[in-house]
Parts: sequence; structure tokens; C-alpha cells
Amino acid sequence: MTLDLQAYVDGELPSDRRQAVEAMLSGDAEARELVEGLRRLSLLVRSHEPEIKVPASREFYWSQIQKQIDLVEREEIRRPAGFALGWLRWLVPAVGAAAVAVVVSLRPGPEEVTLAGAFDSAQTESSAVVFRSESDGVTIHWID
Amino acid sequence: MPLSVKHDYPSAPDESLVRWAQSGDTEAFEQLVFRHRDKIFARAMMMMRNEDQALELSQEAWVKAWQRLAQFQGESSFATWMTRIVINLCLDQLRRQKRVRTESIDEMQEESGGVERQLPVADPNPTAGLEQDELRRRIDEALGKLTEAHRTVVVLHEFEGLEYKEIAKRVGISIGTVMSRLFYARRRLATLLQSLKRERSE
Repeated sequence: MTLDLQAYVDGELPSDRRQAVEAMLSGDAEARELVEGLRRLSLLVRSHEPEIKVPASREFYWSQIQKQIDLVEREEIRRPAGFALGWLRWLVPAVGAAAVAVVVSLRPGPEEVTLAGAFDSAQTESSAVVFRSESDGVTIHWID
Repeated sequence: MPLSVKHDYPSAPDESLVRWAQSGDTEAFEQLVFRHRDKIFARAMMMMRNEDQALELSQEAWVKAWQRLAQFQGESSFATWMTRIVINLCLDQLRRQKRVRTESIDEMQEESGGVERQLPVADPNPTAGLEQDELRRRIDEALGKLTEAHRTVVVLHEFEGLEYKEIAKRVGISIGTVMSRLFYARRRLATLLQSLKRERSE
């Protein structure tokens, strides 16, 4: 109930509980005293917020901030170049792997379907489709 | 040849400075820093209680703000937006330092749900007669004596005006824990402010 009294002072109680607290306050002098004490203290603290000043001159304080802003902005300018290089790191092996796959596919394997046209794989669960064009000498695999 | 426009930065409203800064005007941004630097540093200082860390985090917040300026659409004031950035940085730092955790008997009681009703309210106005500046200083001192976990919820609730739900989300605790931490923090603050009154009368 003590915390309800505090929530009442802070205006944080829903209306049904606020009414219950008000009913209780009318017959409880000690609770009324607590509510008054909390109210006075809150008002006292709020209206006497400590005034603290920056212990440095305007110029020095700002120069420190400006230095950090410059540093951050230089970092941001540098970042896009680094980002592109990061992509290159992935791109080179990916292109290499793709080239190997094309070379392998261009060589007709004995197990591959040699008729022109598209065929569903016998293993329907894997949804693999093979397309072989004899005239172009190309085999394409779709694996779903 | 492009026509260069010299703005009157010191008298321009935040909205104009933000707009100019969004198009890359660092002078406009410097003016925003100059205008709000104390508030942003103060918030970091209240969270961290360490001048070097607060200085570093407040400057980091400004750098982040510059980077994210395009995202600021003016849904809140620029100062509020900036304060949220510095608070998030402070919370991250506190998490890294693993300092937001059970630190005292109060917190152990709090985690086990032992919230008592009493708040020291015998003196209806424990700070009566204190000058405003002195009062601010005393409140700051008292906040400094709270554990980080307790101070965090007080700062977020009393100074940032965040609701329990929002504090819970940001700190990564339950709403129930927010409520009990806030209650213990207030009880401790009340005790500390009462002891100030006693010190003065001795």
C-alpha cells in the first residue's frame, strides 16, 4: 500500500485504484502524513535542480567536440572504400566458382540426359531439372 | 558564385540553429553546444558523480547529436532530445561498469520487497530558512550520497519527468523495482535533508 500511496502522489495510479487510495486516506492520518511528506519532498527536489557548470572554457569544450566530429567524419568518408574492398573479397572467389561450374557443365557426362529439351529429375522430392541442348553443347541444371 | 549568408547565431532560436546545423553549418551547431552545454553536463554529472566521466560523456553526446541530427524532427525540444542522448550514454556506461546493482542494505531490503511506510516527515519543512543556492547545493550533496541505482531513478523521475514505465524500460528493471527504488531514494533524501537541518541548528 505504501507504494500505492507514492504512485498516487506521482499521478501514476489508474482511476479505480486512485479512488481506493482516496477512500483510505480519508480515514488514515498516518497515510495522509506520508502522502504530504512525499509531495513536499518531490516538489522541493524538482524546484531545486542542482546547477552545475562545465568546468572548461567554451573554446576548449567545443574544440574537443569538433575534433571528435572531424575524426568521425573522416572515418565515414573512408568507410565506403573499405566496404567496396570487402565485396571484392567475396566477389573474386564467387566468380571463380561460377567459371568452374560452367566448364564442368559444358563437358557432357555419361549419366546426363542427351535428348534436347527439359526433363524433370526422377527424384521429384529434390525438384531438380536438367536442360541439355546438343546443338549448343550446353547443359543447365536447376536445383530447387 | 554561391551567395554566403551570415546568420545571427546568438539571437537565433534553437529551431533555426538546428535547421542550419542539419544542412552542415557547424557554427550553428557550436551555438547549440554553447547554449545547452551546462544542462547536458549537469545531467551527466548527476548520473555519474565523476567530473571526468561526465565531461567525456557530455562531449560524446554532442558528437552523437551531430551524427544523428537528420533524425531530429522536432517532436520534442532540442534540449530534451539532447538530454535523452546523454542519459542513454550514462546508462550504458553505468551498465558497463556494472555499478547499477545491489549496493546497500537499503537496496537489499528493497529487492526483497520490505518497503516500510515511514518517511521522516516530523519536520514539515526541513530546509526552511536556507537560501536557494544553498538549498540546491545541499540537495546536490544529498543526491551524491544516494547509491547510483537510487539516484538514477530520482534523476529520471524528478528532473527528466519520466513515468515509471519509461524509467523501467530505459534502466532495464521492472516497474515494481522502479517504485521501490524511488521510495527508498526519497526516504534517504528526506533523512539526509533532516540531518542538514540538525547540523545547522547545532
